[in-house]
Amino acid sequence: MSQSVNQRSRKMLACTAEATAYQKAFGKELRRRVVEEQEPFAIVQADTPHEIFHAMDIPIITNQWWSAYISAKQLSSQYFDAMVEAGYPANSCKYCSLGLACTLANDPETAPWGGLPKPTMLVARLTCDCIQHVFGQWAEAMDTEFFPMEAPAWQDKDPAWFDHSKADWERVYQPDRIAHMVREMEDLISQLESKTGRKFDEAKFHHIMEQINVQEGYIWEAAQAIGKARPCPISIAEQMPNTMIPQWHRGSDWAVAHARKFRDQVMERIDAGLGASDNERLRLMWIGAGVWHDPGFYQSLEETLGAVFVWSMYMPFAGPAYLRDLKGDPMGALASRVASMNETLHLPPWMNGWMVSEARRCGIDAAVVLLPPDNRLSQSGTKLTAMALEEAGVPVLMIDADMVDAKIWDHDRMVAMVEEFLRHRGVA
Amino acid sequence: MIAIAGPDIPRELLLATARYAGPLDFDPERATPRASEWLESKFAPWARPLLETWAEGGYDGLDKVVFSRADDTSQRLYYYVCELQRRGLVGGPQPLNLDIAKIARPTSLDRTIAKLRELSDLLEASDDAIENAIADTNAERANAQAGQAGARVLITGSPSLNTRLADAVRSCGFSPSEVSLHDLWTDLGDPVEQGTGDPVAALGHWMYNRQSGPRGFADPARTLADKIAQAAPAAVVLWRIEEDEAQCWHLPAERAVLDQSGIPSLVLTRRDALARDGAPAEIETFLQGVAA
Repeated sequence: MSQSVNQRSRKMLACTAEATAYQKAFGKELRRRVVEEQEPFAIVQADTPHEIFHAMDIPIITNQWWSAYISAKQLSSQYFDAMVEAGYPANSCKYCSLGLACTLANDPETAPWGGLPKPTMLVARLTCDCIQHVFGQWAEAMDTEFFPMEAPAWQDKDPAWFDHSKADWERVYQPDRIAHMVREMEDLISQLESKTGRKFDEAKFHHIMEQINVQEGYIWEAAQAIGKARPCPISIAEQMPNTMIPQWHRGSDWAVAHARKFRDQVMERIDAGLGASDNERLRLMWIGAGVWHDPGFYQSLEETLGAVFVWSMYMPFAGPAYLRDLKGDPMGALASRVASMNETLHLPPWMNGWMVSEARRCGIDAAVVLLPPDNRLSQSGTKLTAMALEEAGVPVLMIDADMVDAKIWDHDRMVAMVEEFLRHRGVA
Repeated sequence: MIAIAGPDIPRELLLATARYAGPLDFDPERATPRASEWLESKFAPWARPLLETWAEGGYDGLDKVVFSRADDTSQRLYYYVCELQRRGLVGGPQPLNLDIAKIARPTSLDRTIAKLRELSDLLEASDDAIENAIADTNAERANAQAGQAGARVLITGSPSLNTRLADAVRSCGFSPSEVSLHDLWTDLGDPVEQGTGDPVAALGHWMYNRQSGPRGFADPARTLADKIAQAAPAAVVLWRIEEDEAQCWHLPAERAVLDQSGIPSLVLTRRDALARDGAPAEIETFLQGVAA
């Protein structure tokens, strides 16, 4: 098999390199703080309330970022092999467990940063049944504590949730779920204060929440413009880092300034009529996590077919997932954000409702859906979403691949599969 | 009538409605053409035949079906059924989802009780009827007969959907001890506290304290060690299906428990849920060695 060749993606915005450079510098700074200075820090899932840690000035390492970091260094196969050698089934969920695999491999010579030091705690929402087991064992392996957070059931099923999430979040995300998450976050703050000696700064938290609205507002504005623009000014390979990197630092001065800069550069390209490809004939939607080990995949059919991936969830999600009218209740607003971040991306009717709406908004010609074979959570909702998109006139290709496991990814085969699909469905 | 489709749903509540129909019945080996179009591969294998039966109207005689947040497939299937009904692709009874929170914090216990109370109100189960059901079920628990004749083989791991593994054990002259999916969904567990004045809260505590499932925080390796100590089996078969994504994380620890027990054991992982992959023959070969 010709596996991932880790092809680079082509970048057009100056701010993309700046974001990448910032994150690289941040990585060094984070390493200095947690490894050299031995500051208290936490390992957290992406859908946990990072805002609390920011308000307490407690460094966090996001599991998904750490997984992507390990994957980008081409270490995922090695660590997953080590898991199997340790007796774990080879089909265990990959996305959540790469960090655990790295810890269990216990190989400071190959591990990024020589391996992570002992964190103050690990924090994860129980969005699928493997998470508490993975994080429980990871915490045990690191001789620290795991702070799980519930993923409460959701009865108020509004397919058009994204139209109301900013102003009417109390109803959309259900008052009892929000109240529950607020209580859990208060418990989290209490434990963090007790373990680190750092205090939760309410005024700083409020300011962060306001700044996040400003930051994500810029991203949302740019996403709206990208949806309307022909050609698409930038590919998803540039949308992702310019959304995600500031999102890791959400609410900071740098993040707000970068989001504004990104929006401005997107608008400049739109005004100048510049496209990610000068050959845009097809607008594609990518559904699923990014294929971190082969970012060049997304631009591989631009020249031959004029097929441009114009949509992935990260950038347009900024609006409905992050923007909240605070209404004097920033903790409630944050709870509404945390309580459903995963659910809206992986469960009907929220996932399919939003994806179909987004496909229409962005003039999508066809969609490609990632279907990780060993990850129920990442698979979840994809078939009903594919069906809904097809009903809306958008042809859908589902590909079996994993976002961090390069072993089952073959760049050439995947590109050929997409090309064949587009031709077969008469799109190309 | 009201049926269930998941674990940790207190039977007392359903008995109190006088409309309890038991767990949803389905043929695990049936073809599932429509359900397979809707459900992804990692759903637990019982979900497809259940949904197929639902889609063809097999549950139309029911009024409601209660799914459980204590199992990921059960809770996820609830959302799928709701969506399929919304889009007019299936009909059938009203799906409900009982939220069950199990983290060791008061917030989770409070939520479990609150959501159970909502459900009991929705199902119009009175406190008196629930209290009576608790008393009746506790009596049933006390009268339950444990123990079987003959040398026992403990089949543990994933719940079984048919009797193929148990039949293989019997064919070698042993007595199988296993948990089927039906057993799991209807397990009475420990007694529920009586006479508290708040029977819903008592049931909520019972749900919250059940920590052995995929969303529980009990240590499966310790649970296995306890099972071995209680049953004193002649042999252990640890069988996990391909779709198991939760308990499989404890396989290394469970192997260690088996090794330490000194009891003959066979570990079968990533196996076909219907045991059509040669697992019965492997068990027979293993047990023939044990018998010798």
